[in-house]
Amino acid sequence: MNDTIDNKHNLSQTEARVEKNVSLSINGQPITAPDSLSVIQALWHAGFPRVKGVGCLDGVCGSCRIMVRRKDSMDINMELGCQLLIEEGMDVFFSVFDTPSQHRYDLSEINTSWDVQTEFHKIFPEAESCRHCGGCTKTCPKGIDVESGVALATKGRFGEAGELFVECVMCNFCMTGCPEFIDPNHVGLFSRRVTGYFHTRPSNLINRLVAINSGALDVDINEPDHDEDAS
Amino acid sequence: MNDVISYQQALTHYYAQKEFPAVELSLDETRLLTKFHPDHRQETMTNLQVGPNAGDRCHKQLADVLQADSRIDAADLAGARIQATDVLVIGGGGAGCAAALMAAESGAKVMLATKLRLGDSNTIMAEGGIQASVEKEDTPQAHFNDTYKAGHFKGNKELIKELVTDGPETIRWLIQQGMQFDLNRFGDLLTRKAGGTSANRVVYFRDYTGLEMMRVLREAVNNSNIDIWEYSPAVELLSNESGHCAGAIISSLQDCRYVQIKARTVIIATGGIGRVHLNQFPTSNHFGATGDGLVLAYRLGAKLRDLDSFQYHPTGVAYPQHLSGTLITEGVRSAGAYMINALGERFVDELKPRDIVAAAIIRECREGRGVSVDGLQGVWLDTPGLEAANPGILKKRFPKLMHLGLRSNIDITKVPMLIYPTLHYQNGGVVIDKNSLSSIPGLYCVGEVSGGLHGRNRLMGNALLEIISFGRRAGIAAAKDRNTRGHKQITIDHISNLRRELMQNNMSMTNKAPLLFPDYAQYDTPENIAKRENSSGCGVCDL
Repeated sequence: MNDTIDNKHNLSQTEARVEKNVSLSINGQPITAPDSLSVIQALWHAGFPRVKGVGCLDGVCGSCRIMVRRKDSMDINMELGCQLLIEEGMDVFFSVFDTPSQHRYDLSEINTSWDVQTEFHKIFPEAESCRHCGGCTKTCPKGIDVESGVALATKGRFGEAGELFVECVMCNFCMTGCPEFIDPNHVGLFSRRVTGYFHTRPSNLINRLVAINSGALDVDINEPDHDEDAS
Repeated sequence: MNDVISYQQALTHYYAQKEFPAVELSLDETRLLTKFHPDHRQETMTNLQVGPNAGDRCHKQLADVLQADSRIDAADLAGARIQATDVLVIGGGGAGCAAALMAAESGAKVMLATKLRLGDSNTIMAEGGIQASVEKEDTPQAHFNDTYKAGHFKGNKELIKELVTDGPETIRWLIQQGMQFDLNRFGDLLTRKAGGTSANRVVYFRDYTGLEMMRVLREAVNNSNIDIWEYSPAVELLSNESGHCAGAIISSLQDCRYVQIKARTVIIATGGIGRVHLNQFPTSNHFGATGDGLVLAYRLGAKLRDLDSFQYHPTGVAYPQHLSGTLITEGVRSAGAYMINALGERFVDELKPRDIVAAAIIRECREGRGVSVDGLQGVWLDTPGLEAANPGILKKRFPKLMHLGLRSNIDITKVPMLIYPTLHYQNGGVVIDKNSLSSIPGLYCVGEVSGGLHGRNRLMGNALLEIISFGRRAGIAAAKDRNTRGHKQITIDHISNLRRELMQNNMSMTNKAPLLFPDYAQYDTPENIAKRENSSGCGVCDL
């Protein structure tokens, strides 16, 4: 039976492990904390206050974006501070979120789906000057192929472009990584929004709206025949 | 206990089973809840001594913040800047955004102040979906019956009627904001069953429903004329000469200064209280969920309800420890995943309402049938079984859960995750009417901060429905209400009343509320408070 388990799963990975302390630097401050902690947890553990740049603590809000350089490496990586476990010799800087998009639009001002492509280039005029430097893709902590998404949107392939951004948490790192000020994540979100706005027309939903508006499905609040907790 | 079952032993039991037979149906649910649900731990409850709910049962940790001293004095306001608006929305999650969008659309001048950034909220973390009766075999009536029953017949029937009737229109509105949903090949909305519902009624986008909703709403707000104030937690409400709500005092996390916002009407959409970690439970909640709105409203005299009723979501991560409390969507059980104890047995119908399922997990662990590792306990969530029955489903429908597996160093298509209930939702809150108006004129409360829709237990998917349905109602009503309200005099007299009441009852004045942040964020350490008080505008408390 143990064979079966070992085939399926290396237990040593999840069995009780011995915690060890590691030393790293966060915003220039030397910190020592157990290696089971995330960057944010390590900061709190060491007694330092931190409230800005903390959000969902679940990897979906982009608030805790950080720049990380690992020991013996010159590479700088973009990560999320709530998701990244600390390592010995890391150098971490919080990159507090402060880059609002300059691109403004109102979906209701796009008259028909035939106009989306024209409107897109008015709203995001920089998109077609993408120089394919890869800065956006390189800075994405979620591993999204941002550059291809922008290219697809530029060609009017909004459905496909939007699909690439399903996991985008709008951390805006790609905006800082783009020398042409394209705001690639907002291009991705625009692509997703026009797809929903113009092309999602579920017949089950529409039928139900018709029925409700006709009064055929009015709710009777006295229908449940017992008010007491029957269980 | 000698008979704890280790991770490895339990995994052996799990793999030894070829199939998991259904559990017998006879279950004394009342007894199960009374014995094992955390709401029934009498020693954690108290009766409130001051305020409009004096005498009511309340969780002690919540009572501590409701009966704490204010963070401010009249002197703090001496040099405070004053600004005016028609409608002030406090909170930047889904409810706040929906309310602000509708108030702005109705022609009001709208200001939205939020503690952290726009969109920082529990909404963004919601996974499973949003309820709307759209299937042929389903009706708003069935939605009503399910909601009322799951809340143990304690919900407000008038409010529930509005909620369920709004369901389909709410989905349409979201689509018009540019939100996507998972569709079948004909373009119809796909639906899932929620625990405790009689039909497939939850519409969704993968297990990222809240993320998809929030990024769309945030973009809509960012592209409107709403005045957005980030890093601006509200610390107190303002009232006028008749006791009506007249605005709020906002503090800034950037320069530590106060601003008085005079508003014709105020909408509180501050969410819940999970980060207070009731009963020391881990939580699935956002960092900012510290119950601030309850405190603000209560001090101004708003009536609250069900302050002893909280939801513990059955499937929080139990192990590894650094992810403890992280949510795994109910959608996984809805798709067919079982829960298995350390003996390799199912122990409850996984699609019972959340309070029942959570209590059953706690029962297994307390009675020695939980899986033990590193001093933690839990039961298995059988994702390998779900994957075997539906190859590819985890990757296609539950990408967020797949990530969670990676971060736990577990291939969830082969190895089950260890789960335990996590503090998830505040069932009660501020009493509201069908326009989301509280008992205080001019004060609207919407979303998790309000109470009444869910009775004493909420169904999956009804929270996302509530924030949009009632958020829109609040926005429209507050915008309309602005024309009937002018304020002659604006005061914080209610703080003096609070202090007098606290002193008359010999209660401690050392604790301050709203909390704003959990204690482990080190925001209110003595050094930090001193720094803020002596601040000449630098305000940088964060490392």
